[in-house]
Amino acid sequence: MTTLETTKIASRGDRPTEPLIFEKHVEHATGVDLPPLDVSETEIDKKLCGSGVHLPSLGQHDVMAHYTHLSDRNFSVDGNFYPLGSCTMKHNPRINEWAAALPGFSCLHPLQDDDTIQGALRLLYETRTMLQEIAGLHEVSLQPAAGAHGEFTALKVIRAYFADHGQPERNVVLTADTAHGTNPASCTMCGASVEEVRTSEGQTDLDHLQEEIDKVGADRIAAFMITNPSTAGIFDAKIIEIAEIVHAAGAKLYLDGANMNALLGRVRPGEFGTDAMHFNTHKTFSTPHGGGGPGSGPIAVTEELAPYLPVPQVMMSNDGSFYLDRDRPKSIGKVRSFIAQFGVLVRCWTYISACGPRGLRNVADTAVLNANYIASQLLDLYAMPYFDPSNGKFCAHEFVTVPQVLLDKGVTLIDIAKRMIDYGVHPPTMHWPIHNCLMVEPTETESKAALDSFIDVMRQIAGEIESNITVVKQAPSESDIARADEVAAARNPIITFVE
Amino acid sequence: MDYTQLNDKHRQEMLDAIGVDSIDALFDVIPESIRCQGELDLMPAQSELELQRNLAEMAANNRGAHNMPCFMGCGAYDHFYPVLIDQLISRGEFLTSYTPYQAEASQGSLQAFFEFQTQIARLTGLDIANASLYEGATAVAEAALLAINTSKHSDLLVASTMHPEYIAVLRTVLSDLPITLTMLEATDGHIAPRTVKTAITDDTAAVIVQSPNVWGQIEDWSGCFEEVHGCDKAAGIAVFNPIACGMLKTPGECGADIAAGEGQPLGNALNLGGPYLGLLAAKDSYARKMPGRLIGMTTDSEGRRAFCLTLQTREQHIRGAKATSNVCTNQGLMAMRATMFMTTLGSIGMSEMARQCWHKSHYLADAITSLDGWNLKYSGHFFNEFTVECPIPVTEVVEKGKANGILVGVAASGRRMRGLSTSDDLIIAVTEKRTKHEMDALVALFKEMSP
Repeated sequence: MTTLETTKIASRGDRPTEPLIFEKHVEHATGVDLPPLDVSETEIDKKLCGSGVHLPSLGQHDVMAHYTHLSDRNFSVDGNFYPLGSCTMKHNPRINEWAAALPGFSCLHPLQDDDTIQGALRLLYETRTMLQEIAGLHEVSLQPAAGAHGEFTALKVIRAYFADHGQPERNVVLTADTAHGTNPASCTMCGASVEEVRTSEGQTDLDHLQEEIDKVGADRIAAFMITNPSTAGIFDAKIIEIAEIVHAAGAKLYLDGANMNALLGRVRPGEFGTDAMHFNTHKTFSTPHGGGGPGSGPIAVTEELAPYLPVPQVMMSNDGSFYLDRDRPKSIGKVRSFIAQFGVLVRCWTYISACGPRGLRNVADTAVLNANYIASQLLDLYAMPYFDPSNGKFCAHEFVTVPQVLLDKGVTLIDIAKRMIDYGVHPPTMHWPIHNCLMVEPTETESKAALDSFIDVMRQIAGEIESNITVVKQAPSESDIARADEVAAARNPIITFVE
Repeated sequence: MDYTQLNDKHRQEMLDAIGVDSIDALFDVIPESIRCQGELDLMPAQSELELQRNLAEMAANNRGAHNMPCFMGCGAYDHFYPVLIDQLISRGEFLTSYTPYQAEASQGSLQAFFEFQTQIARLTGLDIANASLYEGATAVAEAALLAINTSKHSDLLVASTMHPEYIAVLRTVLSDLPITLTMLEATDGHIAPRTVKTAITDDTAAVIVQSPNVWGQIEDWSGCFEEVHGCDKAAGIAVFNPIACGMLKTPGECGADIAAGEGQPLGNALNLGGPYLGLLAAKDSYARKMPGRLIGMTTDSEGRRAFCLTLQTREQHIRGAKATSNVCTNQGLMAMRATMFMTTLGSIGMSEMARQCWHKSHYLADAITSLDGWNLKYSGHFFNEFTVECPIPVTEVVEKGKANGILVGVAASGRRMRGLSTSDDLIIAVTEKRTKHEMDALVALFKEMSP
């Protein structure tokens, strides 16, 4: 078979499939050169040497072409409406990228002396204090590498606090039944066991919370982890009572900050009784998702938990200079090497500084307005369990729909989601926090025209289910591939290419 | 600027459509007592021009590898990478995409990460690799948990010659779990296989050995892992430097079951320590217990090649408390940089980079130790990093270096390296970027400092 034929068969539509780099390998090729060695050689003990490197080699132009072609096969915030609930896919300003790439930031070694990196430490210190202000909490640690890592770190801090206060038996953590999977998984990593608290109407069931506490025993509970606004996109109106119940049990209230975009400048979590929380800078503060990271998950805690935060902590001395404090005797220690996701935090500082206090509040306001607007325009076709504006029930920055009427006509949720791809829209979060739901989060950076266009797409798909159901069931027809066979992939995993 | 795009007319139309008078009404559910009164106490908004000025000023208030020859290593290395990485990585299709849960809208990321997994598997000489973890230390901790969960054993043997921050992270991660951590003491800066043999019990889950280790010494992985394989189910975990794999025997060639390491040297900037790239590779048998994301090759419903996330039942979003790890967001963009780096250099470039690290570090070590009073601390083989005993206090050496515009290395004493050494040891790293001229300047400086 000729190369041309292979390509023709493998491709869908007019977009050619890109071969793997292993298939593009050219013997003796290289994409870049190094200067000749400028020192004398030292004999290498052959016993140390391996059989050589077995990586593919490509010329530079082929490298460029390869990744350019691959980039053509991706949806992105830059090019697509991306209403992925709970993920906050907002615009990523390019000033942030410019800043992080400045050699004065990107070329710093993490073990340099403090006096050589005063600008970087100032930026970290300011980021720390800005996040403290936004959280309404006493102290922030910038060290965690992502949200889940922040959960883990904060739970370690809480457990260390209790151990230090003679209550090491507090090793049960309560999570909501709608919690993100990282919540219980982080508990397990901390050696804590997990009990689920029911939610009803997207909000915590207070009676069940109290029941669980009584069942487990108040003196064994370390914390209750809550997401607020909840993963159902609703602000938990009883949050003050929840905090009271948790605190009455002697436990701590942990806030999963995934949905902070709805609270910026409107509510500070410290004000409603939060003892510890994490931020996701890659959600709330616009640092790009990068196809799955890097994230950054700073945590904020109360004064009583602060001594247990990881080391090092960035500090300002009396003379206005900055330093890394490694001398915190009660600290849980280190949760990652070096300092933090510095390059991500440069972007975070830049974003918060661009917005300022009024801008941040407008971010929350607009995110909430956009979500409510879309919900209101789709409510007649896409049933929403918690959204009922005529009775004063609104959503926060995202909403869930369970389009049962449409599903009853013979399509699956996946069909609807995949049909959205044909219209250039990234599918929303699916089947979470409840079965058969779509969770839609438009974010604040979309224009009204983009929101209207999304509404049109959703209405169009609902119409297609009536008039031309096949096109929905066979979607996506416009994408680079038809539906991927994920079942086969898991049954017979091929995770390394073998020639 | 907050990057929103609605004007007053839009806002009014939208409020009318929702059926409320004001945005405030949408927040009515929040109890009055906890709502912010007034603005957050933050600096006022800055325009992009002001941001450019202020950020440039803050950046200029740092000295680093951009304006000083950098001989610092210890887990972060000043390697060359081609310009095309920065150019390609800034494509919004990579930069601003999400985790590729929707395969049909993410074939680009998925294919690149699949290629990354294969490159890392080949580089380490193992069967499989995941699509990245946070950074080196957490990758080592995940490797340890993988070995513990697979073997159901609860003893970890850890080389005391591993980077002290990696050991510290391991201690934090294991501190609330029923795991015993036994440190393997070093002889002449490395772990003797007989030390492993003596320490192994029926309950050993893994032995963890870093090579080159924190002192730069090449460890006897083969010897150590041979001992551990005497214990049923126990794993050999190799903590590796991917650049060293361009020359030295790979973890797989030395009998490792799992390899974990810091991928920063593969095309990622120093970035003051992050974002970096956690690497994790293993033998096939670990596939269903691996932490983190895995990309699989499959077909679409019309029979053509396709890629998707796979074995997701290991992961927290499906399995919750029973997941193999809590990791969710990983280091996708850093993995993308690494795969671009390896593709651009290819076998030739990777081998040449490793070769130059070897020759240059040995050239510098020879030159320094020819000075009176400056000696190598350990006698074993090294790759790109070595430890020198200074004849004067090491802090003075570092200060003198800064005054002369050279980052001379990492002092092994003091809190920053967690008290690794109590004497005047300097750990010096040499990458292919260091020129003979820069090395000779370092030697001249040390000569001036000789007593």
